[in-house]
Amino acid sequence: MIRFSALLLVGWLAVGVAGADEAPISGTVKNVDTSAQTVTIETTAKSKTREVTIFLKPGAKVVKFARPTEPGKSGFVEQSLALSDLKPGWLVSIETKHEGNKEVADVVKVVLER
Amino acid sequence: MRAKSFVTLTVALVTLLLVLRIAQPPAIRANDKKHEHKAAHDHGHVHVPAPLEYADSHVPLSVWTDPAQIARGKEIFTARCAVCHGDAGDGKGPAGLALPLKPSDFTDKNGVAEMRDNYWFWRVSEGGQVEPFKSKGSAMPPWKGELSVQDRWAVMAYQHTFSGHQGPHVPWEHPESLKVGRDIFIMACVPCHGVDGKGDGSVAATLSPRRAPQPRDFTSADFKFRSTPSGNLPTTADLFRTMTEGVPGVRGPMTIGLRAHRVMPSFRHMPPEQRLEVLEFVKSFNRGFWERDDVKTVCLPVPPPVTIERLARGKQLYADAECFACHGEHGRGDGPSAPTLKDARGFSITATDLTKRDRFKNGARVDDVYRTLMTGLAGTPMPSYGDSLEPEQAWDIVYYTLSLSDEAANTTDSAR
Repeated sequence: MIRFSALLLVGWLAVGVAGADEAPISGTVKNVDTSAQTVTIETTAKSKTREVTIFLKPGAKVVKFARPTEPGKSGFVEQSLALSDLKPGWLVSIETKHEGNKEVADVVKVVLER
Repeated sequence: MRAKSFVTLTVALVTLLLVLRIAQPPAIRANDKKHEHKAAHDHGHVHVPAPLEYADSHVPLSVWTDPAQIARGKEIFTARCAVCHGDAGDGKGPAGLALPLKPSDFTDKNGVAEMRDNYWFWRVSEGGQVEPFKSKGSAMPPWKGELSVQDRWAVMAYQHTFSGHQGPHVPWEHPESLKVGRDIFIMACVPCHGVDGKGDGSVAATLSPRRAPQPRDFTSADFKFRSTPSGNLPTTADLFRTMTEGVPGVRGPMTIGLRAHRVMPSFRHMPPEQRLEVLEFVKSFNRGFWERDDVKTVCLPVPPPVTIERLARGKQLYADAECFACHGEHGRGDGPSAPTLKDARGFSITATDLTKRDRFKNGARVDDVYRTLMTGLAGTPMPSYGDSLEPEQAWDIVYYTLSLSDEAANTTDSAR
């Protein structure tokens, strides 16, 4: 019973820590570096505006949402983009994780192309 | 025993954490609301008031129910807004789901009901790029550069349909949108202006019985202190200025206990957002604020320099326009017509003593006097000269008027 309880507690804490480390951020694309696989965005949170450089993991996706072209279909479909398609000024949202000293991400979602 | 305590403690801790996790509120919505919790907390929701530059951006009543406008709004919404707000308007569009600040849910009828039309228009126009939304990380883009005013109205009309409300989105349909302002009004304004804003509060009759000025009747079309042409309702900025500055009295301490002999006290001490809230409530007494097509204001040119020649011209114009009839030859408010003056309600009214700047009800700065001259004071014998004077002539009279006062030295020194 002691072991079970301890395991439950440790499990809970682990989930909590992992969850706390993930955070969605949104902002305006300032710079894209395809060789370094990074996106720098300007984001504001808690009254502070800052530039954050996010490292894309190998195989990371850049996606946007578009209307399906097939007749009769509604809603949105996900379209993949290359990192180089991202343009400064576009609005994106990114679920980031803190790894080492870096902010890393698997997916960059385009909210608005401007 | 120790093991048993440990188990109990651990189970209690885990239970507590689970409860906290379950009770954790959902992500903050872009309109700052957690409408899901309304029933639990019953706090109501407070939307920040639209800033002054948007306070008069009321949507024409017909737009909300006009099928053509709604269709146009749907077209725009589908192309530009649905990716975040969702095709169903529930804030669950694919791009919105990943945003740290969730897009507004227009199916939340309580949340929509509390969102005033000028606030809504401000949000669509400026997006989340203005405070307080920017600090919270709102990703809402500003649309004022891409959508015309009419298109923004159309989008709002379509978004409004998600709430299920039929009819125009106006305060008299959604009194909950004025809750904050109403509470302040009841505390601060009802004694003079009355519960229904008709200027018939319990204190009103004791201020200066049977004499003007009386507290403003907000339901009438007569608002004295305006930057709008004669016959028009004031701007919200005009009301804000009056509320902030107060209104000085004419004959001494008409309001005992209020400093500077004011008929209406200054509410400068009240936070600006609270002043804006109460003004939204005040405007709701008069549907004309929602029924006017456009808000035009009298152009206020840059004040020219005062010269001896200008003062001489002003003196002549003062005579030609017969200002002396009420204000007197020397501006003391003792002209031949002064004893007979009455306001629109039939109360005797005193011509302003122009030698006492602290009695200028609409302010004594050069721009204040210019505005008074060009717009008149509705409901009083003071007419508008907007149609009869050129701006240069108006400035002549303004400077001459100010030269009559005890504090004229500051105005006219440079000319002497």
